[in-house]
Amino acid sequence: MSRFLTSIYKIDDAELNTLKRRIDIASAVAIFFIAILIVRLWYLQIHRGDDYVQLSESNRIRVQNLNAPRGNILDRQGHVIIANRPSFNIVWVREDAPNPDAVLKKLSQILHEDISVILDRIRAYADHPRYMPFRLKEDIDWRTLIYIENHHLDLPGVHIEVLPNRDYLLGNFASHLIGYLAEINERELAKHADADYDLGDQVGKQGIEKLYEKYLRGEKGRKYLEVDVHGLEQKLINSKEPLPGDDLQLTIDIDLQTTAETAMEGKAGAVVAMEVNTGRLLVLASTPPMHLEEFIGGISNTAWKEMLNNPLHPLIDKTIQGQYPPGSTYKIVTALAGLSEGAMTPDTVIYCPGHYFFGNRRYGCWKNTGHGPVNLHRALKESCDVYFYQIGQKVGVDTLARYAQSLGLGIKSGIELEHEKAGITPTDAWKRQRFKEPWQDGETLSVAIGQGFNLATPLQICRMTAATVNGGTLYRPQLLESITTPEGKKIKQFEPIITGHALGSQTSLNLIRDALTAVVNEQHGTGGAARLENISVGGKTGTAQVIHLSKYKDTKEDAIPYQYRDHAWITCFAPSEKPEIAVTVLVEHGGHGGSAAGPIAKVVLEEYFAQKAAAANNTTP
Amino acid sequence: MFRFDRRLLLNFDWVLLLTVLLITIMGLTNLYSASHSGRMLGTPVYMKQLYFFLVGFGLILAIISIDYKVLLSWNYPFYVISILLLLFSLFFGRSVANTQRWINFGFFYLQPSEPAKLALVITLASYYYRKDTGKGFTLKELTVPILLALLPFLLIVKQPDLGTALMLLFVFVSMTLFVKLRWQTLAILATTCLSAIPIGWKFFLKPYQRQRIETFLNPEGDPLNTGYHIMQSKIAVGSGLKFGKGFMHGTQGQLDFLPERHTDFAFSVWAEEWGFFGSIILLGCYFFMILWGLNIAVTSRDKFGVLLAFGIVSLIFWQAFINLAMVMGLLPVVGMPLPLFSYGGSSLMTTMIGIGILMNIRMRRYMAGS
Repeated sequence: MSRFLTSIYKIDDAELNTLKRRIDIASAVAIFFIAILIVRLWYLQIHRGDDYVQLSESNRIRVQNLNAPRGNILDRQGHVIIANRPSFNIVWVREDAPNPDAVLKKLSQILHEDISVILDRIRAYADHPRYMPFRLKEDIDWRTLIYIENHHLDLPGVHIEVLPNRDYLLGNFASHLIGYLAEINERELAKHADADYDLGDQVGKQGIEKLYEKYLRGEKGRKYLEVDVHGLEQKLINSKEPLPGDDLQLTIDIDLQTTAETAMEGKAGAVVAMEVNTGRLLVLASTPPMHLEEFIGGISNTAWKEMLNNPLHPLIDKTIQGQYPPGSTYKIVTALAGLSEGAMTPDTVIYCPGHYFFGNRRYGCWKNTGHGPVNLHRALKESCDVYFYQIGQKVGVDTLARYAQSLGLGIKSGIELEHEKAGITPTDAWKRQRFKEPWQDGETLSVAIGQGFNLATPLQICRMTAATVNGGTLYRPQLLESITTPEGKKIKQFEPIITGHALGSQTSLNLIRDALTAVVNEQHGTGGAARLENISVGGKTGTAQVIHLSKYKDTKEDAIPYQYRDHAWITCFAPSEKPEIAVTVLVEHGGHGGSAAGPIAKVVLEEYFAQKAAAANNTTP
Repeated sequence: MFRFDRRLLLNFDWVLLLTVLLITIMGLTNLYSASHSGRMLGTPVYMKQLYFFLVGFGLILAIISIDYKVLLSWNYPFYVISILLLLFSLFFGRSVANTQRWINFGFFYLQPSEPAKLALVITLASYYYRKDTGKGFTLKELTVPILLALLPFLLIVKQPDLGTALMLLFVFVSMTLFVKLRWQTLAILATTCLSAIPIGWKFFLKPYQRQRIETFLNPEGDPLNTGYHIMQSKIAVGSGLKFGKGFMHGTQGQLDFLPERHTDFAFSVWAEEWGFFGSIILLGCYFFMILWGLNIAVTSRDKFGVLLAFGIVSLIFWQAFINLAMVMGLLPVVGMPLPLFSYGGSSLMTTMIGIGILMNIRMRRYMAGS
C-alpha cells in the first residue's frame, strides 16, 4: 500500500530543496519572534520588575485606618467639657450592591432624605474603586441604626461604620471658642501634607479645635490587610493601634461660662472674665451660641442658612470680632490721660450744666439737667460727659490714643483665636489716611466719651479694666492652661505673658480704681446693678450709641426698634481693694449699660466668689 | 498501510514526546496553583486537564500507527465535518457570554473551532501538495484555498471568536507564503487585505472587540474595565522578578486579580510564581518544540510531509506567540489559549493530534522511495 502511494506522489528533489530553504527562513522568523518575547519578559520582570512589585502590593494590601479618639477638652477645674462618643455612619460599597437603584430608594425612605441628595453624594465618589466604602450619611440616630441593622439583608451595599465623634457633654457652651469639626477639604489636606490625614477625616475648623488640632488629633492606627480582588479580607498582615489625642485644659471655668451664657440667654452680646493678675480668661462667651451638635457629620444647608441669617449673628464671636463704640467705659482712658498729662488734678472741679458748647455745637451730657460741679471721682462715678469733653479737649486726640493703646485698645490682644479684630483708636493721622481729611477738634470730644470713631471689642475692654486695676500690667489673654498626654504626662504648661504697661503713674491708676469702686458702691453710681453683698465691686458702665436719631431721642427704650437701640456695657472688677477678676459684659442693643449689662456681670461675680468660698470651706473645714 | 514497521518504533520521536510532557507537567502544576483558591466546583481543572492529556496521548498512539499520507484522501471529509460542526454550534451550540462556541457531547463540551484549525491545515497542505507546479501560484489558482479558508473563518467570526478566526488567517498566510506566490499575486493580496481592515473594523468586529483593540492602543484610557486584564496580567508577570513569588504564592493569581487565569492567562500565573527563570524555561521548551517541528518538516521524506509539518508548527507557533504577547501586553486581548499549557479540552486535544501528526511524519522520514 505504501509502496503504491509513494509511486503515485513522486518527490521532486529540487522542489523539496527550495521548500527546505524556506524552512530556514521560517526558523529565522520564529527565532525573531521568540526573541521579542524574551526581551519583553526581561523588560517586565527585570527592568521594571520593582514597579510591578509595588503595583501588586498595592493591589493586595488594603490599609484600613483606625481613627484615634480626639483629646478631651477640660476646664480650669479639670471638668471634662468635651469628650468623644461613637457616631454611626452609613457607608456605601458599590461592589456589594448588584441592584443599587432599589436599595438607594429604600435607603432614602429610611433616612427621610431625598434620593437626589444620596445620588449626588455617590456621584461625588464616582472615581472611587468599587470595593472602597465611602460615607453616605453621618451620625445617624439609634432608631435608624437599629432599623438598618435589622434590615441589612434587604440593603446590600449598605454598611455601618463606627467612628469616634465629639460629645458636647454640656451642650453649646463656649461654642465659639471651642469651635467645631468637619470633614477635611482639599486645601487643608495640602496644608497638612506632612500629617496623617485622609479624605473623609474630621478636622478642627475653628477655635481651639482648629488651633490645637496637632495635639488633639492623636495618631491614627493602621491595619494592613491582605484582600482579594473583591476586597474580601484574607489575613491580617500588620497592625498599629491608634493613639488618642492629648487633653487640653483651658483656663475657662465652665461653671462661670455657663452662668454667663445662661444669664445672656436670648440676648446677643458677649461676656468676658479675666484674672486681672495673670490674663487667664475665665469666661469668653459670645451669644447666641453656635449649635455645635449640628456640625457633626456636616451641617445641613438649612441649619447653616438659619445661623447665617439670624439677626443675632450667632456665627460671629462677639468677644473678639464684635467691635462696638466703648461708650463711657472709655472714660477710664480719658481720666488716665488727663491725670498723667496734667490736664487736671483729682480735685479740679468742672461745672456741668448738662451740656457743653464747642465750636458752634452743643454737646449734651447724658444727664440733661446737669451734674453741677464735679471732680474726677464724681465724674467717673456718675459718668459726667461734660467733664470728660473738657479733659479730652485739653489732652487732644493723639494723646488719648496713646493712653488707649497702652491699655490695649486699638491693637489686637494677641489671643490665640483666629480673626480677632483690633478695634479703632482714632488719631489725626488715622483719619487723614482713612478719610483723607484732617481731624476736627469737635471729634475729640466724642472720642473722649468713647463715641465717634472709637471701636473696641469686649475682650479689649476687659483687658483694659484688668490693666487699670492691677497696677498697669497688660497681659496677653490666656486661654490654655496645659496640655496633657493620654497617659497623664503634662507636656505643656502655659504661663502668663506680659505684653505691655499702662502709661501713667500708679497714683493715677489708684485714683481711678477708687472712683470706679464708687461707680458700683456709692449712691448715684451708674453701676449699682453689679453690687454684691459681701464683696466690694468696682466698674464702669457704658452706653454705646448705635446711631444718632433725634427721632427716638425721647422715646422710651422699649419702643425703639431693636437695631437702633444702644449697646449696653459694663466692665467691672472685684474685690475692689485687691482685684482678682475683671468681668466685662456687652449686650447688643441692650439699652443702658447699668441696667442691661450690670445684672449679668453681677451673677458671674457672685458665682465666682461662691465657688471661691466653697473651695475655701473645703480646704479649711 | 496498517502494517507496523519495526523501524517505526526505532524512529519514535522521544524528543518531541519529552518536550510535550515537560510543557504539560508545567501546565498541570500551574493549573493546580491557578485553581487553588477554590471557587470552582466539581472535578478540579488540573485533573480534567490530566484526563484530556491522557486521552490525547491515546490519540497520538492511534495517529502514529497510520501513515500520515492517508490524510491526502481524508482531508476533505475532515474539512466537511469540521464545517458541519461549526454550523451546528452556530445554530444549536451552547451560548456562553453571547458567543456560540460550544457543542455539548454530554461528557464533554467541544469547541469546534479548535479542530477546524487542524482541518484547515490538513486541507491546505493537501491542496498545495497537489497543485504546486513550482512556478508560484497565480491569483486564480489561489481562489480555491482562499475559499477553503474563508468559509471556516467567517463561521468562526460569526460565533464570534476573533482569536481563533485570526489564527486561521495566520495559518493560511503562513502556509501560502511558504509555497510560492507570484509577485503580482502577493501585491494584489496585500493591497486587498490592507483595504479590508477598515471594512472589517466597521462591519465584522463587535463593539467589545473594537474596544479591546482601542484599549490596547491606549491602556490608560480605561484602567478599571477593558484595560484591567492587560494591566493585571502585566503586574502579575512583572512582579515575578527573577525567581518568582513561589509556587502557590503568587498574589495576583491567588487573590483573583488575574482574570481567566487557568485558561488564556495561565502563563501570567506561571511567570508570577516562577519568575524570569521559570518563564525562560517554559519559553525555551516552546522554542525547542517549534525548531524541532521545523526540523521534522526539513527531514520529511516528501513534500506533503513538509507542508503538513510546517502547517502544524505554524499553528502551534502563532498560538503560543499571540498568547504570550497578549499576556505580556504586546498585543490586544483576544481569546487565545497557550497550547498544552492553558486549560481546555478542545485546544489540548487538537494540539495533541497535531503533535501526533508531527511524530507520524518524523517516524516515517526514512521510508520514502523504498
